[in-house]
Amino acid sequence: MAAPMELFCWAGGWGLPSVDPDCLAVLVSAAAAAGAAPARLGPARFSPARRSPLLQTYARFTGAPLKVHRIANPWRSPSGSLPALKTKDEGVISKMQQIITHLRKQKYNADYDLSAKQGADTLAFVSLLEEKLLPVLIHTFWVDAKNYVEHTRKWYAETIPFPLNFFLPNCMHKQHLERLQLMWGDGYMEDEEKLEKELYRDARECLTLLSQRLGSQKFFFGDSPASLDAFVFSRLAPLLKAKLPNGKLQQHLKSLQNLCNYCASILSLYFPWDGGDPLASAPRAAAADGGSDAEDDPHKRRNQVLSVLLGLGAMLGYAFLSGIVSIQRGTAGPAARRPVTIEEDEDEEEE
Amino acid sequence: MALAAEAFMTQLAAAEPWPENAALYQQLKDEQILLSDNASSLAVQAFLQMCNLPVRVVCRANAEYMSPSGKVPFIHVGNQVVSELGPIVQFVKAKGHSLSDGLDEVQKAEMKAYMELVNNMLLTAELYLQWCDDVTVEEITHLRYGSPYPWPLNRILSYQKQWEIRRKMKAIGWAGKSLEQVLEDVDQCCQALSQRLGTQPYFFNKQCKGLTFQYRRLVPKIRPTELDALVFGHLFTILTTQLTSDELSEKVKNYSNLIAFCRRIEQQYFEGHDKDSSSSATSRSAKRSLLR
Repeated sequence: MAAPMELFCWAGGWGLPSVDPDCLAVLVSAAAAAGAAPARLGPARFSPARRSPLLQTYARFTGAPLKVHRIANPWRSPSGSLPALKTKDEGVISKMQQIITHLRKQKYNADYDLSAKQGADTLAFVSLLEEKLLPVLIHTFWVDAKNYVEHTRKWYAETIPFPLNFFLPNCMHKQHLERLQLMWGDGYMEDEEKLEKELYRDARECLTLLSQRLGSQKFFFGDSPASLDAFVFSRLAPLLKAKLPNGKLQQHLKSLQNLCNYCASILSLYFPWDGGDPLASAPRAAAADGGSDAEDDPHKRRNQVLSVLLGLGAMLGYAFLSGIVSIQRGTAGPAARRPVTIEEDEDEEEE
Repeated sequence: MALAAEAFMTQLAAAEPWPENAALYQQLKDEQILLSDNASSLAVQAFLQMCNLPVRVVCRANAEYMSPSGKVPFIHVGNQVVSELGPIVQFVKAKGHSLSDGLDEVQKAEMKAYMELVNNMLLTAELYLQWCDDVTVEEITHLRYGSPYPWPLNRILSYQKQWEIRRKMKAIGWAGKSLEQVLEDVDQCCQALSQRLGTQPYFFNKQCKGLTFQYRRLVPKIRPTELDALVFGHLFTILTTQLTSDELSEKVKNYSNLIAFCRRIEQQYFEGHDKDSSSSATSRSAKRSLLR
């Protein structure tokens, strides 16, 4: 078999396999495409003991040569952004839609059984979500001051590794803010009341429409999941699972019982090891990531040794240059040692 | 986007009947209006025709700046001004006219979804073509967009608008697309619409139960919805507008049921009864010859 494709995604948290909606969409659609028989994906086959958050091999149950890296540092992705798919023949693909299209071309198609009309409906509902729900989701997570400071930034700052965690969340915040400003115009961001009234109302309506369309079905098109399910789930699950201090939209989603059940069932079907514990929250996930890093990252030990060496080198260098430690040539008794040292000190000052 | 005080306004509006002197504003028909605005305007006209609400089409060079949301078309009814199809549908509904009352909840959800599909793909593709495709921008968009204004202003306004649209395209991830990809998207969208329409006369085949129309003429057995108006507005405009190349209209012409659909709505709602807007009627008849 050809070399496996490698998928780079944001790390998991909030009880989800990945916190980023786009990454989540790719993960679920890959799993759904492969999982025409979801029973095969049971936890027995993929026990928590074998779980490695960094390198998750869905290939085991999909037969798809797809390695999943769940990382907390977008700079380690080959495209510099997440999600990204590293393929053998087409290089790196970095947009969610393109990744799903690529997987589809490789015959991992979750929509195989859909009729043409259902395919059309998929396109329509994806548009509905993108137009009405997605901007408000971005606002809820990244722009709403309370949610951003107390929830989103906190999670990303805890998860992203050290030097990056100081500025990366802010960069992402700025990107999202700019995107919304372009989509809505500047006036909307300033007029809180207007925003609340119009856009959140549209988003709530969108959720209600989804709930009505889903009705009592298990998935949007009957009993088996399709790419639309992956897309809807990826948008709804973070909203449902995150513990937002300001949960206006979240409240509405929670009141739509069938959508909540729908998310829970997809989560338990495809990611039983992530969704099993509803209390799984950011710190736990972060800790788990930290704990298993040692086994999963082959360069971990080397990096540790290197950083210790570098630190030691810097300390010794400083000590030597500032004259705390000095090296003498030749041998002399203790009596002769002191004056020489002082001399060297003076040399340094003269320079 | 809807108006801020819309909820309040619609309550006020509910009591008043539809006045005879309602007006729809758009840019100058022959020399100024662009593809996307013309499509949106035609969609609203079709919607109002389907509701049997008379409206006079008024062409103004500064329509864009008169609109409360900065987008055309907008309607002036009594002492209220409402812009864009979505809010207009709600406004008209508050007055007791609705095309989608007969639909059940699932159909309503699907109708809304398809409307967003048209907005998300067709409208965006039209905007892309007229502001991001260099040939079209040079030969059509700048000339038409700036036509009512004197020299440096026409250039300045065109470039300003172009910059704004291009930034928006960047924000939604369309900036990196090539023209071929955009046309591919249009094709995909048309295919979806065509599949959904199938052999039906309108997208949703449900008879309207509540007929509360004052201006009732021969009410057809099967009624169109606002989705039909929106799709008609866009497809008819794409089919009948001469651009630098006919790649865009070729994409639509591949789907015979969509063309038949456009013709059906045109015959039913636009032929013979728009005396009010004689100018648009003539240009439309000119376009009709293109369609056939």
